[in-house]
Amino acid sequence: MVVPDEATGDLPEAAARRFASGAFTSGLTVPDFAACLQLGLEPVGFTQGYSVMRWQWYGMSPMGMGGFGAQWGGIRGYSDTWSCPHGMVSAEHRSWGQNYEQAWVEDAWTTGFTTAYGRMVEEAASGGAHGVVGVVDTCQPLSDMGVLEFRVQGTAVRVTDGTPPAAGRPWTTYLAGQRLTKLIEAGYAPVSIAAATSSVRVWANCVTQYLTEGSNSMYGGTTPGAEITQTVTAQMAARQIATQRVRSQLGHDSLHGAALTTTQRELGEGDAEIECILRGNRVRRFKDFDPMPGPRPTVRLL
Amino acid sequence: MSGTGPLAGDREGDGGDIRAEMRAAAEALGHEPARGTGRMTSDLSIDEELVLHSIGWEPVELVSGVSMHSIPVGVWNWGQGEIGYASAAYARSFANATERIHEQCTKAGGRGVVGVHVEWAVERHHIEVALTGTAVRPVGATGLGTDPVFVSDLSGRDFALLHNAGWAPLGLAAGASFVYAPRRSMGATMKQSGQNVELTNFTEAMYAARESAMERMQTAALDLGGTGVVEVKVTEGPMDFAHHAVGFTAYGTVVRLVAEEHRHPGARMVLPMDDPVVRFDAAALRG
Repeated sequence: MVVPDEATGDLPEAAARRFASGAFTSGLTVPDFAACLQLGLEPVGFTQGYSVMRWQWYGMSPMGMGGFGAQWGGIRGYSDTWSCPHGMVSAEHRSWGQNYEQAWVEDAWTTGFTTAYGRMVEEAASGGAHGVVGVVDTCQPLSDMGVLEFRVQGTAVRVTDGTPPAAGRPWTTYLAGQRLTKLIEAGYAPVSIAAATSSVRVWANCVTQYLTEGSNSMYGGTTPGAEITQTVTAQMAARQIATQRVRSQLGHDSLHGAALTTTQRELGEGDAEIECILRGNRVRRFKDFDPMPGPRPTVRLL
Repeated sequence: MSGTGPLAGDREGDGGDIRAEMRAAAEALGHEPARGTGRMTSDLSIDEELVLHSIGWEPVELVSGVSMHSIPVGVWNWGQGEIGYASAAYARSFANATERIHEQCTKAGGRGVVGVHVEWAVERHHIEVALTGTAVRPVGATGLGTDPVFVSDLSGRDFALLHNAGWAPLGLAAGASFVYAPRRSMGATMKQSGQNVELTNFTEAMYAARESAMERMQTAALDLGGTGVVEVKVTEGPMDFAHHAVGFTAYGTVVRLVAEEHRHPGARMVLPMDDPVVRFDAAALRG
């Protein structure tokens, strides 16, 4: 078995024994398995990578937050301030607001994801695989102790009569089976999966607080039913940051079959935390599109 | 296992070409991509992308638009007729989100957005609309086209079918109405207690909300210069935080015939030869 230099990391010794046993394992469905064989991809083994991270979103530790909160610790990336139209009202009045990127959350997610991903790729490389198909990644709490588990798994494959991957690093894709076959036929080569996250905290000013709570300001300055501009700006920023981050991974390649998921956690008084994850397949064109015939509608007689 | 193992199969048989292409694809990863060949981002499936190419269009960039409008406190509880704040908040959120995705599409050099995922939420104090889709353009097109940029929730496949039939999407049209279901009088409540009777206050509120929402959507379609709306999605019912209010929302893609006349796609009948699954019901033996 050929073990590339970079795959001599922290892979358990049992993994190498498992790959050398002679039988392959696969997470593919039977139709996907058949389609992969048709494509000349032989399964090598079901590969997985894990990383378990301590996860404390609101820990006030300077170590955990990269500073005592963004406003004290310095902000990296997106930041936007929102002033109060009322002037000095009271100590409780939210006289300023801020949207800022939570770089420490993004860094932690990126560390967890890339570590798990790297371990999966390392395992695939140790089995002599050329690529990993049908990748699935998950991120979920491992218990209620503030622990997050990152898991990336897929089926390592070898290209029949193919040359080993460049630098011994297998390519990866979320696709498998007939979708991967169509991708190849369309002239795209899978390079890797691409994923990025963004996390934006909304520290609401008074106007955002009133609008989010549906209340009217006794000091004026808010219009009932108006757009909640601060939160909307944060939402748009979160999406753009995640998109830009994935774009920076692409080089001159493209992102195909992307999925953008956004979650917003309401924290009360207009405060919110917005997380956005964009993932997809980084693909490279290796031939021009074959001319496609126009689609022909059919009616199934069932 | 190696390339000469049993899983390698019969290389002379079916699939030989695709295997050669797979090898070529894997080998291409050893070289740097040509400059200017990529940088596209898309959430379309490969099927959708292929079908788009078949009609001379290509994806350009993933784009999105979001808007959120406030709803003043107390508007859901007591009143009569339409809850104007909520209906207006939905309309403005939809319009602003559309404007933002439109702006991103134009900036990316797209001529329209297809496959838009419409996510919306009605909460007690706000209504939120988020649109995400892929900007598309005719293959190789640059700059702005002569036709206005469109936003559509049609899939790549539906867009291609529409295009081939001589129609064009113009934009998204939406309408919503939130209406109070008036509380019954004490006498009516007592009279109907313990009986299965129609609650006309709710039925009438549903009809009122429906008519207003559908009318708004149609008006929006006419404002865009469309002749109809396809793929209309509707939702109806009460909100879990406002039991005496009902809402009706509707949105769809506005279309217009751009060819001289509709071109019938000429669907071909196909009879799948799969064996049907026959289910055996043991209970049927008892007669």
